[in-house]
Amino acid sequence: MAYRTFAAIDVGSYELAIKIFEISNGNGIKVTDHMRHRIELGTDSYFTGKISNERVDELCRILREFTDVMKSYKVDDYKAYGTSAIRETKNSAILLDQIKQRTGIKIEVISNSEQRFLDYKSVASKGQAFQDIIEKSTAFIDIGGGSIQLSLFDKDSLITTQNIRPGVLRMREELTNVSYRSYQLEGLVEEMVRDRFESFMNMFVGTKKIQNVILVDDYISTVLQNGVIKAGRKGYIAVSDFVDVVDTLKKKKTREIAEELNISEENITLLHLSALMVKYMLKELGAELLWAPGVSICDGMAYEYAEKAGLLTESDKFETHDFERDILACARDINRRYYSIERRTREREVISLTIFDHMKNTQGFSKRDRLLLQLAAILSECGRYISLANVGASAYNIIMATEIIGLSHFEREIVANVVKYMTDNFEYNEILGRTTTLDRDAYLKIAKLTAIIRLSEGIDIDHKGKCDRMKLDDNGDNMVITLETNADMTMELGLFSKYASFFEEVFNIKPVLKQKNSNL
Amino acid sequence: MGEVDYSRAEYYHNRELSWIAFNNRVLGEARDEDQPLFERLKFLSITASNLDEFFMVRVASLKDLVNAGITKPDIAGLTPAEQLDKVNTATHEFVGMQYSTYNHSLLPLLSQNGLLVLEKHEELSESDCEFVDRYFQDYVYPVLTPMAVDSSRPFPLIRNKSLNLGALVSRKTNDSGRKHLFHKKVAQGRELEFATVQVPGGIPRIVVLPNAGDGTKRVILLEQVIERNMDKLFLNYDIECVFPFRIMRNADFSLSEDDTEDLLKEMEKQLKKRQWGQAIRLEVEDGIDKRLLDIIQKELAIDGRDIYNIPGPLDLTFLMKMYALPGFEALKTEQYTPQQIPELPTGVDIFEQIKKHDILLHHPYQTFTPVVDFIKQASRDKNVLAIKQTLYRVSGNSPIIAALAQAAENGKQVSVLVELKARFDEENNIGWAKMLEKAGCHVIYGLVGLKTHCKITLVVRREEEGIRRYVHLGTGNYNDATAKLYTDLGLLTCDEAIGEDATAVFNMLSGYSEPLGWNHLALAPLWLKDKFLYLIEREKDNAKNKRPAHIVAKMNSLCDPDIIKAFYEAAAEGVKIELIIRGICCLKTGVEGTNGNIEVRSIVGNFLEHARIFYFENAGSPELYMGSADMMPRNLERRVEILFPILNPELKEKVRHVLEVQLRDNIKAQFLKPDGTYAKTDKELVTKENACSAQEQFCREYRAEAAMQEKEIRQARVFKPEYKQG
Repeated sequence: MAYRTFAAIDVGSYELAIKIFEISNGNGIKVTDHMRHRIELGTDSYFTGKISNERVDELCRILREFTDVMKSYKVDDYKAYGTSAIRETKNSAILLDQIKQRTGIKIEVISNSEQRFLDYKSVASKGQAFQDIIEKSTAFIDIGGGSIQLSLFDKDSLITTQNIRPGVLRMREELTNVSYRSYQLEGLVEEMVRDRFESFMNMFVGTKKIQNVILVDDYISTVLQNGVIKAGRKGYIAVSDFVDVVDTLKKKKTREIAEELNISEENITLLHLSALMVKYMLKELGAELLWAPGVSICDGMAYEYAEKAGLLTESDKFETHDFERDILACARDINRRYYSIERRTREREVISLTIFDHMKNTQGFSKRDRLLLQLAAILSECGRYISLANVGASAYNIIMATEIIGLSHFEREIVANVVKYMTDNFEYNEILGRTTTLDRDAYLKIAKLTAIIRLSEGIDIDHKGKCDRMKLDDNGDNMVITLETNADMTMELGLFSKYASFFEEVFNIKPVLKQKNSNL
Repeated sequence: MGEVDYSRAEYYHNRELSWIAFNNRVLGEARDEDQPLFERLKFLSITASNLDEFFMVRVASLKDLVNAGITKPDIAGLTPAEQLDKVNTATHEFVGMQYSTYNHSLLPLLSQNGLLVLEKHEELSESDCEFVDRYFQDYVYPVLTPMAVDSSRPFPLIRNKSLNLGALVSRKTNDSGRKHLFHKKVAQGRELEFATVQVPGGIPRIVVLPNAGDGTKRVILLEQVIERNMDKLFLNYDIECVFPFRIMRNADFSLSEDDTEDLLKEMEKQLKKRQWGQAIRLEVEDGIDKRLLDIIQKELAIDGRDIYNIPGPLDLTFLMKMYALPGFEALKTEQYTPQQIPELPTGVDIFEQIKKHDILLHHPYQTFTPVVDFIKQASRDKNVLAIKQTLYRVSGNSPIIAALAQAAENGKQVSVLVELKARFDEENNIGWAKMLEKAGCHVIYGLVGLKTHCKITLVVRREEEGIRRYVHLGTGNYNDATAKLYTDLGLLTCDEAIGEDATAVFNMLSGYSEPLGWNHLALAPLWLKDKFLYLIEREKDNAKNKRPAHIVAKMNSLCDPDIIKAFYEAAAEGVKIELIIRGICCLKTGVEGTNGNIEVRSIVGNFLEHARIFYFENAGSPELYMGSADMMPRNLERRVEILFPILNPELKEKVRHVLEVQLRDNIKAQFLKPDGTYAKTDKELVTKENACSAQEQFCREYRAEAAMQEKEIRQARVFKPEYKQG
């Protein structure tokens, strides 16, 4: 049986980890080895903006060891992701280059949303257990060193995701500046989380009842997974029991907790802070069941690798959660939040995707490009909430400030630009001048998707759904768009060339709009 | 009756006295007239080397406590000073017994059986004298370093455990009648100086004399040969008197590992210092010149009660060499050859065999070769990716080390944890560590503050179906030499869950964080003690609820107070507890409330009982575990140890059988009585039908098994003709 060996390296805020996976069509994804080394990179970068030389040395030493480990397993491929600690380092480019030189390992820095998406994927890779839990209204709490990601599921789709600070490591560091007695700690933790959590509750939860909570973290999950707390199924605990456990822990000394929970003493403070944060959030959400599947970002990386390499089994695929649907659901939720008129965006979505599908083979578009176009169409109206005059710029800002889980920062910037230039003049220099992440390929993609979405705008200017059916035909250098409708298309036919000119410029194809009476 | 507080000191034996009782049991074997004569020599030699180690470590540490003014009592309620007093009395008595055995029992018997040990050089014949003098001149003299002490030459370093000859000498008067300007002592009108020479360790202690023609082999000890030729060493002196002496130094050193950047270098430094440790015991020949003794005592600053007047040759460990003298095979137990393991005949693919099912190894009844072959095969196998192993004590010319080095040279990822802190093997292990590193292995020198005592090997192999991990777990060291003498058990498995755990063990040993959880293994110092307490507690609950409850535990020593207390409490609830403990046992039998439910036996035989096996009845679903740990605080709290379960039902039966046979032993087994003494089964109760010596029975069983297999192989070679039916 053919299988591939994949190594996932996570350069986290307080831990460096490598997981070796064996991935095959027959057996799916199997963990072969898991090594973790505690190193608080976040303590440096969150508070000084730099990672100290000593820690960089340590980081490189361990990464070199990881290289040996990878060699010993003869891994076929690897990915190394750096998250918030590296992200928040001022000189991250230099640091990453140094690491590459010293260890041979290329670390890719991923955005918060990419990171959380991988966490999310790793939970989703639990298959049926995940599907079962999200059948009921569920919140997903992902505690990182720098921040916490809060996500909500509704009818098995992810509808919103928000990032709030502080994370557990950042909280611990902030508390070092506060003089307090142990009995005050819970109050302090609540105070630090409440401000943003309350807003989250008001904006996204309201009176809705959240029954289940999925937790991804490094401490509580460890305890719930190692079975020291007798809580029924491994990783699951009733919220009331969890609260009892936390309340008991409060009265114990560090040493006692370490012994009882089978975790090292150095982790107790972070465990305690995580536990108090989770307790507070569970209480506020009114949840009944907590599930800590004990997964890490590495599992998500393996899942992603397997997916891309086509190594997931049929049953894996069957159980695979539809992540694209989540991304779209999130975008529609943003739309609702900014009072976009759904009818208009739906119409734009349908027409632009019809054009896209017609062109995809000749232009070599990917499935992901289609998703980006679809997102741009959905989010095309959100800028109106801020300004009816500067829709493009406003939409750009909203999109860039809003996390869409599953979408990388890079992709989000493409979507934001497409939405912006749907209405604004396409400025060649402006795009690349404003960004540090986009490259020329991305710029071309923005141009092409903008051209398509602008063209769609010309086909249904007032978004009343005039068109019953649309047919596209290539005729030499022309693309003939035939609309089957008996509606009055005077406006569209008159102004079409204005919307089509950019398309023609980008693709060197002249769109020609024709109307065919649908009654005929 | 109210609940008994089992933590009270009266319910515990002192561990040092219990150890002396153990050495007494070994001495008992040397005194046992049913033993072949040369086996008795071997046992006596073992008692001597045991006692040396006991002094260097245990007595030394008690002295340290007393010197530090520590008065905290042990579990038996004795302060360090009280313990030291009792130990002193007991060891003096013990040494008396050793020499009584040697002088009154063994020497005459040796003589009767054709081996004459000349105790003094004065007993040598003229021709013998000629022989030994020539021997001295040719072989001994060149390696000796005689040292005289005067004001220009300070008292020399007397090395730990070395045998020395001390002498009082006086300068010969020269022609002018003037004496040496410097002198050390003036006694009885003569100026006496102290002189000494170390009996060289590199030359055999036993000197075989030329055959006298009567068929008797005659031997004399090297120190006697030197003593006879002492005047040749101190040419300008008259020899007043010569007596052998030997000292024991405190060998217990502590490393401040936190401040140590290079553990290997620090260890080398500390080992050198061991030669300078405080002298804690002085052995001198009985009748030593008082003046000579005074000098030695003063210079070594040794207390009078730490002086042992020995009525015979010092350092009886030479008897092991005497055991090896050729020509006395009839006076020894027939040597047992470890048998082949049925599943692992020579040349078989070990990985394929393990894949079929788990394999149990029982040494020394079964050969240790497959364990060595496991590593050797892995080192050559192109599919093997990595080999990881822990090494605590290895043999002198270890084939395992050679195989590991070969594996690294063959491009395998080889990680070896060599425990530099393995007491008295530190120097060997430093050598191995350097050699393995040179071969390209990744060597870990151990963990800060902990000794890695577990015995585990992991071979990671890339196979068609994916990565498969082969694991060997054992109760004894990876030492092919001691595996012929120590009884141990091992398990070869490719069980996925155990493989995962083994990987996690090595990740932890390499300094990575502990895993999120364990599948089957329990590790000390973090989880093992709790696991034991949990298992005992479970039996207690079962007994309370009238469910079957029974514990059988076999180990080398039991002295962890929490575990002992748990045993008492379980016994008080009705759990039957059968303990097979070779050495120290701080648990008492007959303790109030335990209703006779605890029985302790100790087996001392030709093989050293070394396996750790634990059986828990678990209300009718028995669980069996084996491991590297004794139930001692040092094992459970300061060492990395592994306890592993036996999961395969067939192997479970085999391990259970090992325990059952040991529990049936009524020949070698000695039972702990409430007063702390041990006694064998009354001979009158041992009949031909029920007589059982566990070690002998295992030898018979494994021989029979191997013979059966051999027969099967032979039968399989017979052609079977087929005939036409009907």
